[in-house]
Amino acid sequence: MLKKKVRATGGIIIPPLNGQPQKIADAETIEVPVPAGEPPLWDVYTRPQVVGQPIPRIDGPIKVTGRARYTYDQLPAGLLHAVLVRSAHPHARLLSVDIAPAQKMPGVRAVIRLDSPDLMRASAASAAGNPEQAAAIRQAASHSQKSKTMLFVGDEIAAVAADTLEQAEDAARAIRIEYESLPFVTDVAAARQPDAPRVHAGQDNIRPLPSPHGPDGDRGDVHEGLAQADAVIETRYETNVAMQNALEPHGSVAWWDAPNHLTVWASTQGIFGFRGDLAHFFQMPASQVRVITDYLGGGFGAKFGAGIYGIAAAWLARETRAPVKLMLDRKAENLAVGNRPSSHQQLRLGAKKDGTLTAIEVVNFGTPGIGHGAGAGAASRRFYLCPNVSQRDHDVATNLGPAAAFRAPGWPQGAFALEQAMDELADKLQLDPLELRQKNYWDKPFKALRIQYEIGAARFGWRRRAQIAASNRNSGPVKRGLGMATSCWPTFGRPPAQARVVVHSDGAVEVTVGCQDIGGGMRMIAAQVTAEEFGLRPHQVRVHIGDTQPGIYGPASGGSVTTTSVAPAIRAAAYDARQKLLAAIAPRLGAAPESLRLRGGKLLGAPRALSFASACRLLRHATISAEADRAQNYEPHLTEMHGAQFAEVEVDTETGRIRVVKITAVHDCGRSMNRLLVESQVNGGIIMGLSYALLEGRVVDHPTGHVMNSNLDFYKLAGTREIPELDVVILDAIDPRGNNLDVKGIGEPVIVPTAAAIGNAVAHALGGLHIRELPMTPDRVLNALAAVRA
Amino acid sequence: MSQRKRESNANELSRRGFLKGAGLGAGAVATGVMTPAETLLAAEKKDEIRGPGELAVTLRVNGRRHRLQVEPRVTLLDALRDRLGVTGPKKVCDHGECGACTVLLDGRPVYACMNLAADVAARNLPVETVENLGTPEHLNTLQQEWVRQDASQCGFCTSGFIMAATALLRDTPHPSPEQVREQLSGNLCRCGTYPKIFAAVEAAARRGPGSA
Ligand code: FES
Ligand code: FES
Repeated sequence: MLKKKVRATGGIIIPPLNGQPQKIADAETIEVPVPAGEPPLWDVYTRPQVVGQPIPRIDGPIKVTGRARYTYDQLPAGLLHAVLVRSAHPHARLLSVDIAPAQKMPGVRAVIRLDSPDLMRASAASAAGNPEQAAAIRQAASHSQKSKTMLFVGDEIAAVAADTLEQAEDAARAIRIEYESLPFVTDVAAARQPDAPRVHAGQDNIRPLPSPHGPDGDRGDVHEGLAQADAVIETRYETNVAMQNALEPHGSVAWWDAPNHLTVWASTQGIFGFRGDLAHFFQMPASQVRVITDYLGGGFGAKFGAGIYGIAAAWLARETRAPVKLMLDRKAENLAVGNRPSSHQQLRLGAKKDGTLTAIEVVNFGTPGIGHGAGAGAASRRFYLCPNVSQRDHDVATNLGPAAAFRAPGWPQGAFALEQAMDELADKLQLDPLELRQKNYWDKPFKALRIQYEIGAARFGWRRRAQIAASNRNSGPVKRGLGMATSCWPTFGRPPAQARVVVHSDGAVEVTVGCQDIGGGMRMIAAQVTAEEFGLRPHQVRVHIGDTQPGIYGPASGGSVTTTSVAPAIRAAAYDARQKLLAAIAPRLGAAPESLRLRGGKLLGAPRALSFASACRLLRHATISAEADRAQNYEPHLTEMHGAQFAEVEVDTETGRIRVVKITAVHDCGRSMNRLLVESQVNGGIIMGLSYALLEGRVVDHPTGHVMNSNLDFYKLAGTREIPELDVVILDAIDPRGNNLDVKGIGEPVIVPTAAAIGNAVAHALGGLHIRELPMTPDRVLNALAAVRA
Repeated sequence: MSQRKRESNANELSRRGFLKGAGLGAGAVATGVMTPAETLLAAEKKDEIRGPGELAVTLRVNGRRHRLQVEPRVTLLDALRDRLGVTGPKKVCDHGECGACTVLLDGRPVYACMNLAADVAARNLPVETVENLGTPEHLNTLQQEWVRQDASQCGFCTSGFIMAATALLRDTPHPSPEQVREQLSGNLCRCGTYPKIFAAVEAAARRGPGSA
């Protein structure tokens, strides 16, 4: 594609702080290769009118009045309710599944078996054919002896649809299942033994994960690095399995509005992926499946594909020729649809006397249950400029529900270990932990971290550290501590993503995107970016989001890519629509299009100023429409998003209770689109990280293989009482090499350092004693203290 | 924790295939919300068995009466959502653990998932949900502040929080920060909007009475 070189200045915008005016630091002008068709570049000096402003989101009113209709709230006429039947054993063959009693129960409309791979295939193959033939295939398949082996408590066996939820639940209980129990293992240490029961037949329970090599991957030679070191520390950290628990469960409402057309409301982070899964299963063209996610009740990485629950809903809808709602219950949420894997990390760090890192080595074993991907992220590889790095990750299979992506997959685990190891190293070298990090700072273009460390330390009062340590010596049982940790998250946003902007002759402006708003505020950002180009207020823009029907593609919301991928396409489409609009109306005003400007809801530069709506009326009956694709990132390698978090805690050495008093967090996401939304994400990441650090952990009864806290009573989430004082600072790290808005993501970097910062603060309070396991519960604190005393 | 338990206690005899007495023969119960002990007493006094089939009941929701047929085991939450289409209250845990289903029962915040529709109807208790507060065009003060502070991210917890906060502000127009945390401790938000929720409630309180 044709590219032209454009000069643009990047740099770090520091907001007004402590009475100081806004400042720009590290400004640097570069040449950027910009593809043809992109709107004019913005840079560090651009002052957008609407983008970046802290304007409350346009969908606020509909949410606070209970009018926002989530998937769970859809109530099409004639709706049936469905439930899933799940395995009660951690590892078992199904000897028989008798659905006949359920079929006879009152209100029951359909019962399907989900345990037979043949049956699934038969149904898929016949889905588009005539119903009698489909029934015959299913009949034959249901006599087949082949049944998938149950691999965990909660594995899916059957599904029931009935007139009411209560009837469906009754029928589910009436299904008779005979199991042949097989040997199983749920404890990670046990699963690593050579004679452990095999989770996946014929496969080793331990599976090494690939390690990337290169400047951002494994590099150098750690043995050499350790040999060069003046100080070496060897340490270990463990993290527990954490459950997603988005408040709206996984699920969907499906109906066939024509024999060959399926419409689905889905609680998903990826409408196009969900559509693809259904199209694949039913062997129909994807364009004949419509997936809608108008409002989503939270998604943290586990809501991508259609899953068995999504397929079952559509399948039941086909059987019953009625709309079917299948939403998981809280127990299933905690058993079967994803979690953050555990980790057991051994680390060795080496450094010179002055703190210069010479080696980082991590060996990690984690369990993704029956799934995969228990790596501890890439903190070891990305945080510091260290010439010798090696991280060896291993999945350890267990008979438990599968892992899924969960907000910065792997990174909070990795940071928890690495950042505490850094503090241990600092201790050994008698260096300040922050200085040790600053020493190993990895310089990159338009990187905000150096400034984030400085601002964070100053606001937080990092200098109080020595004095607090001194006063702890003479204090009562409650000790105070300060700790900090680094954050980093790669810039994954890129094409494909599309947007369409339509201007009507009555002045209405509509924008259509193909992503979904998972709560981060994409609906609002779409309105702001569009409004910017037309000189309107965001509330004047109508946003269409979360629907595959218009054929405007958007990515799944994962990897903090939504805004970064989609918003630049919106700006390109809006800019194009504006140009077309001005070109269309200029002749009618006797003006040149270049002389016209849209600002403050007005058309300026014409012989007389017009309101935006009157200007649009000059279109008569026509509309203006423009579509744009997200351009490639202007340069392929972009600097990551960064952050630094500082935690202040109190530890009661008699009860073991940790109280987080305050967290100061300084982050960046390129150019922030809306400070209110970014702040909310930062708050949310910190609170989820705090919850992970102190409260959350799956508890498994290993003799039976059952999860003991698959609910919100015994699986603890942070609530109102655990919330510390939060001090959040957002810098705009303007990197003009990325996209036409200089935007990056924020959802994930904000959870990466929290548990580590709290861990370091606890260690500071306890005179260097690190709590090595998550969650840092009172019993673990007391045990650690007792072990030292003994 | 204790708060969550307290709120969920409006009827701990819930979730049974049928109801024993429990004041279904109206008249037996005064207007207040019964404690579990009272419910038990009422049940013992009138050993009348209703169900398990559907019952015709009348629910008073947001100032209107709705006649409907429900099995005795149907929760107030499911009756509101599935039978009456009142979907402001959300179903998250269905076990009194999260507060997303919070409604006001005779003015007191309760978990709708922990109350039975037939029981609420028999006791003739008025139910108020988020739908009874301001509309998107005319938000009440608390809702305005909620939007202004960005106290909803995904928004799935919002209805429940707003009802709990509404009960607080009606009862205690100028709550201390500690009272706000205490009153809302029976509600969970996975997106972590708590600081902005506190700010919204405190800002609404500052704007004075009538805020909820
Ligand atoms: S749904 Fe009622 S308390 Fe959670
Ligand atoms: S805003 Fe998403 S759960 Fe509270």
